[in-house]
Amino acid sequence: MTADPRGGVRGAAADSADRAGGREDARAPGEDPGCARPERTGPARQLLRAQGIAVAYPSGQPVLQDVTFELTAGERIAVLGPNGGGKTTLFRALLGELRPAAGTLELPARCASVPQTERSRLDYPVSALDVVLMGTLPNRAWWRRPSRADRAAAQAALARVALTEHADDTYGELSGGQRQRVLIARALVQNTQVLLLDEPFSGLDTASATRLEALLQTLAGEGRGILMATHDLEQARGWDRVLCLNGSQIAFGVPAPTLTHDVLAATYGGAIVTLPDPDGTAPHQAILPPHHHHHDHAPG
Amino acid sequence: MLEPFQLPFVQRALIELLLLAVLAGTLGCWIVLRGLAFATHGAAAAAFPGLVLADGLGFAAALGGFGAALLFALTVGGLSAATGDPRAAAEQREGHDARTALVLVAALAIGVVLASDVFHSAASVESLLFGSLLAIGPADVRLAAAAAVVAAIASALLGTRWLATGFDPAAARTLGIRSHLPDALLLTLVAFGAVATLSAVGALLATALLVVPAATTRLLSNRIPRWQLATTALAAAEGTAGIWLAVQLNAPPGATIAVIAGTAFAATALGKAAT
Repeated sequence: MTADPRGGVRGAAADSADRAGGREDARAPGEDPGCARPERTGPARQLLRAQGIAVAYPSGQPVLQDVTFELTAGERIAVLGPNGGGKTTLFRALLGELRPAAGTLELPARCASVPQTERSRLDYPVSALDVVLMGTLPNRAWWRRPSRADRAAAQAALARVALTEHADDTYGELSGGQRQRVLIARALVQNTQVLLLDEPFSGLDTASATRLEALLQTLAGEGRGILMATHDLEQARGWDRVLCLNGSQIAFGVPAPTLTHDVLAATYGGAIVTLPDPDGTAPHQAILPPHHHHHDHAPG
Repeated sequence: MLEPFQLPFVQRALIELLLLAVLAGTLGCWIVLRGLAFATHGAAAAAFPGLVLADGLGFAAALGGFGAALLFALTVGGLSAATGDPRAAAEQREGHDARTALVLVAALAIGVVLASDVFHSAASVESLLFGSLLAIGPADVRLAAAAAVVAAIASALLGTRWLATGFDPAAARTLGIRSHLPDALLLTLVAFGAVATLSAVGALLATALLVVPAATTRLLSNRIPRWQLATTALAAAEGTAGIWLAVQLNAPPGATIAVIAGTAFAATALGKAAT
């Protein structure tokens, strides 16, 4: 998969002269009905901005407080924190499911979530295309069937994640990485500029992880903003910024200066493991969060 | 060998069953996929006292049955899958199952008491519970036809939504599927479908048509449209075989169809396990 001069994905759709590819070629390259390319002119556009927000469930104390960060077009932010630290709660607030109890949340762009694939029913009789078509549901009244344009948009979104040749495969029979990309296509078909990914790399093998990392980089390169909840510190260090949450915001900034031993200790409640560092050159590489899932993949 | 099918009442029973096969194919697949099998059984049982009441008070039987079944479906049999958190949904489903069982028992008891002690119409209890396929009237056939058509239209229009909500309820909400209307319509259809099958197989055997054929073909299908077609074909075959066998053996047709459907399911499941 390579990036074309305009930054669009030239994947399976371009390689195989199939339905989606043929349609795409009729338009400007890289452009498709389902995934309008965000404008990239002038200084980086702000996609979302949280100012001191607190989020609470309808009955109870805020589970997340004092969160202040921003996401600009083209930026990838890794959201770190322990389980129950507020990562999912933050995402639910960004999706509009929970209303901030305090602070201001500016969301000029639409957010779409990419959940963990295990949360969906793998035994359902649906194809990859059927799953992506679910992303077109908000576009129409509840009694309407998917239109031809909806199907074209779903095919185009599948092409962007290089899964055109798997469009008719049963979702549950795809590999974990392919399923994750199907769910990304479902988010893309919603015409969204902000993707919220929930531990998308958990359980992926090295090849799938590398491919997914490249895809996320491409999508960000097109001007989308990406927020990813993760437990993988090494991967987070390769992203643009990190947001550390543990009930409240611990830190936000560029990874290298932000991810200090103290910040990580506060983020994971002191429950970090500091491994002896043989060289003494890179102390940060010797710290593991308690929930680190060991799935060795190449960081991007 | 085929002479039973020359009898007018057998022909009418066959038409009824073929119409119900379409209902079994279109609606039955959604019942199985969305985990509504027990709720369907409950809706059919709830229709029983409604039918007795309608019969005793002299208003349209289908209306009484549908009213009772609908009341059950929308209150007790509610779709737990419509709520977000899968763990909460699982807990809620347990609660729904328990309530469904309670209402099912109560409905049967109330129906029997109404029939035997209030309206003294005990003779019709057996046909309400187990159907009277060989005494089908034109109104029953019209009701089955209406149910089949409505189920087919609703499935074509709302299928994607029913699928998305069942596939991943949490994501369905973030996709903006917040309306409970499509799911409420599914439950209404379940109630309607249950009532439409009553005259053929009765309140206690409604699932033999609405659940068992779809559960059988589920083992072999991995797409909704193909699954629905296969279920319709299987239900039609089971119904035809059941009615022929019932006439030949002088056995109750509803029960015969239920036995054939159960045997087909067992054979398919065993065959699949063996491969």
